[in-house]
Amino acid sequence: MLRNYLKIAWRNLLRHKAYSAINIIGLATGISACLLIFLYVGHELTYERNFPNAEHIYRVVSRVNFHGEDDRFSLSPKPLADHMRREIPEVKKVTRLAASKKQTVWKDQQPFLEDNLFFADSTFFQVMPYTFLAGDPVTALRAPRTIVISDELARKYFGSVEKALGQPLQFSRNQHLVTGVFKAEKHSHLQASAFFSMVTKDEAERTGKDAETIAAQENEWILFGYYTYFTLHHPASLPAFKQKLADLVQRRAVPWLKENEISASMELMVQPIPEIHLSNDFQTDISPSGSQSYVYIFSVVAVFILLIACINYMNLATARSAKRSREVGLRKVVGAHRSQIIGQFLGESILITLLALVLALAMVELSLPVFNELTEKQFALSSLLNTNFVLLILAILLFVGLVAGSYPAFFLSGFRPVEVLKSDKNPRGSNAWLRRSLVVVQFTISLVLIIGTAVVYSQLQFLKNKNLGFNKEQVLALNLPKGDSLFQERLTVFQQELTQNPNFLQTATTGNIPGERLARLLMLVEEEDGTEKDQTMNVMFVSYDFLELMGIELKEGRTFQKGIPTDEKGAVIINEAGVKWLGWQNPMGKRVQVTDYDAKVIGVARNFNYASLHNPIEPLMIIPIKENTGYLLAKIRPQDLEASLTFLEQQWKAFAPRHPMDYFFMDDHFNRQYQAEEKMLTVFGYFAALTILIACLGLFGLASFTAEQRTKEIGIRKVLGSTVVEIVLLLSKDFALLVLLAILIASPVAWYGMKNWLQDFAYQVNLSPWLFFTAGLASLLIAVATVGIQAAKAALLDPVKSLRSE
Amino acid sequence: MLKIVNLQKKYTTDEVETTALNGISFEIKPGEFVAMMGPSGCGKSTLLNIIGLLDNPNSGEFWFLDKEVSRSSERQRADLRKHHIGFVFQSFNLIDELTVQENIELPLIYQKLSGQEIKERVNEAMEQMQIAHRRNHFPQQLSGGQQQRVAIARAVVSKPALLLADEPTGNLDSAHGREVMELLSALNEAGTTVVMVTHSPSDADYAHRIIRLLDGQIVTESITERHAARVLSPEF
Repeated sequence: MLRNYLKIAWRNLLRHKAYSAINIIGLATGISACLLIFLYVGHELTYERNFPNAEHIYRVVSRVNFHGEDDRFSLSPKPLADHMRREIPEVKKVTRLAASKKQTVWKDQQPFLEDNLFFADSTFFQVMPYTFLAGDPVTALRAPRTIVISDELARKYFGSVEKALGQPLQFSRNQHLVTGVFKAEKHSHLQASAFFSMVTKDEAERTGKDAETIAAQENEWILFGYYTYFTLHHPASLPAFKQKLADLVQRRAVPWLKENEISASMELMVQPIPEIHLSNDFQTDISPSGSQSYVYIFSVVAVFILLIACINYMNLATARSAKRSREVGLRKVVGAHRSQIIGQFLGESILITLLALVLALAMVELSLPVFNELTEKQFALSSLLNTNFVLLILAILLFVGLVAGSYPAFFLSGFRPVEVLKSDKNPRGSNAWLRRSLVVVQFTISLVLIIGTAVVYSQLQFLKNKNLGFNKEQVLALNLPKGDSLFQERLTVFQQELTQNPNFLQTATTGNIPGERLARLLMLVEEEDGTEKDQTMNVMFVSYDFLELMGIELKEGRTFQKGIPTDEKGAVIINEAGVKWLGWQNPMGKRVQVTDYDAKVIGVARNFNYASLHNPIEPLMIIPIKENTGYLLAKIRPQDLEASLTFLEQQWKAFAPRHPMDYFFMDDHFNRQYQAEEKMLTVFGYFAALTILIACLGLFGLASFTAEQRTKEIGIRKVLGSTVVEIVLLLSKDFALLVLLAILIASPVAWYGMKNWLQDFAYQVNLSPWLFFTAGLASLLIAVATVGIQAAKAALLDPVKSLRSE
Repeated sequence: MLKIVNLQKKYTTDEVETTALNGISFEIKPGEFVAMMGPSGCGKSTLLNIIGLLDNPNSGEFWFLDKEVSRSSERQRADLRKHHIGFVFQSFNLIDELTVQENIELPLIYQKLSGQEIKERVNEAMEQMQIAHRRNHFPQQLSGGQQQRVAIARAVVSKPALLLADEPTGNLDSAHGREVMELLSALNEAGTTVVMVTHSPSDADYAHRIIRLLDGQIVTESITERHAARVLSPEF
């Protein structure tokens, strides 16, 4: 029986090549898009899985509340780890990790800039079980000036993993001994290339300080500078641990805060490491985190694309049902039960899905390079060959086969032989309403995606072009090397040298730049009534020329000026939001004390968006720095960019031969905050195009079916004097109406969805009706063009022939 | 073989009720060859569909192989069709995607016979209908007469007790028509009960008995001349 079904299915496929092609290509496109998305989603959902028992490795995260302002950090206070070890018996191992800045590595007189560097306690590898390729994970980081490097770094600097062990590696001016090599882990929130021993950092921080200062420093509960990871003796004791952690905060942190007159509350929470990647509600996370909502959105898009492809199959199968009705009738006459016929048609759709699946795998292979570029991942077709994915593929096969096949199967198997055997007419009417509804569903989904893409695009354009209150165009930022006193001394000369070149309009050094996460510091501020109170506020450390170079305007007061002694002693500029927040009537001259820097307000800066436009402008204190750390900014002329860069490089080599030049453009850097949205735009764009393509493929099939069915009518109309244009309009009108209906349904749905998406931004583009109109018109035109081709073909037939063929 | 008592069949379309069959009663004995005649719309095809268990009457009794089947479920009727009834249609109703051989084996597939048995029975049917040389052809490659022979082969391959033919020569020229009638006649002589709907008096003449219908009722029942002649002939 199965053989007979297969034969019929196969011969049907061959006989109706165009329909088969539309079905198979449509399904394959849908399945391949779906597979790609699931590849991505699967990757996002399985971070840290290369660490054995990852779900039982935890990180402590903090929530701090200053004056009603909630801050959530992935960092925890410095003394925490030590207290956890001593006071909570459930803890098996606890370890600290601290991020290091980029550093220059020297090899064969050549400088290389290395990123993703960390300081780690000696217990680190007992908590985070990295695979060690050389060295002993237990002892590797016990001594100062030791380092454990990734296999990639080992190969880069020593040629092989084996050669690296026991060798010194020069970072900036310090040598570190390589005591271990681990296998680099890309599928983790912690994509480290090397770990320095924490004792190195501790020693450096203690140098030159007396015992009392050191003790105070060690007990600073408000200093969030460490990532704290831990494991438990028994995972089941997690609730008990959480209670004891809360008790610890009450016992240690709360009295300390009280003692230091800091009115803040603190809560410590626990996060299993596999949850880190998709939780983006903590500041100061190590690497840019993924997004739970994008994972959801993409999964939904994947299912929708598949659904659109299934609808094509259903529509074409039912449209062609009249052609199959005789076969169904006959099978019933010779004794087939309805269930056997349902089985036959479901089998047929599964066969077609299987063919589509094979094609889809080929499509996935072909599109992987583009997809990898898009997602910045390294997926390969072979990664589909694990149990989960094979199960997923089987699930897709069954889902598509059954969803797409079920309606035609139940519809066709319901035919009564008496009705179908006498003619080729479909006994259940044309079933056009159902096909029409399904077309509306397809176009509604496509339109929601198209409108979504358009909104994301216009929001991004809006973000990039919005007046931020400062000028980020044509500003180049150079990372300044740390700890090179010779370079520091020569920096002013370097700046002068640069501005000799007419392409370099202005330069300034600065500690922070817009688009960078700023420190939120505790400060004492003078109230309007002369009293003082604790506040925390974002702080930006800048040089004297910074405001001018960036084009930041002042509302009142003046900017920092060289030569004014009070500016050097203590001056700050506050932004408008800060003035409003503090409730100051007369900001000028108000006292502000940030740690030991005692200053007066000398100016109020107009609000500028120093952070991403996801957030409104927060209060900001701008503090001048004397030493040259951070960045050198250069405003350059847009012309001759290449020549300017060459000139800069020459100068850099002359002034800082020991450091590789590391620069970026401010606008690129600032716009990098919208990377997630950029990614969403690209993915949305591609998939919106795919859905409309698949939907049009189906429409094309339906239109050709309609044209075929109405051949006689078209013939008669032509004989009676109808023109080709009139006939094309006649045939296209019905489909155009469906698309119009889809526009009516999709517009409010998309409006609601995108309004929600825009809630993520403090600054939102207006959802103009034009946007919806344009998206609607575009899909209408595409649909009409698709149908029009078929309609024109039918309209151009010789009426004599079409009438005779009836 | 079958017995029909006071059969009624009505169709309702767009609030108009049409009586297709009105109080029909008759009996057909095993081995009979019965022709049903009458003008278009007289109800003969409806009656044939009910006899073939493709349609249900509204009231009345229908005894088939000593069982009352007018209220049987679709599944029971499918099983009866599968084992006991063969159909031949005016428009052949062959499946275009299947070859001659595959079309003929179709009823056997649903009987779940072994591959070997199916092969033997299909070969036998093809030999009997003289179409074995065309076994790998598709229906559209055959003449009308050949197609109807395939259809008859398909109808008899499961060796049904009852063969129903709905205007089996309607789409054929007279030479092919005659050929088909000879085949049906031969099958009948071999023991198969045949019920045939036809407009053609010459086809009807192959039958033993003619039932004439008009407006859903039987108007006459008569023995055919040829049958009468055979019955009265000395050899009989």
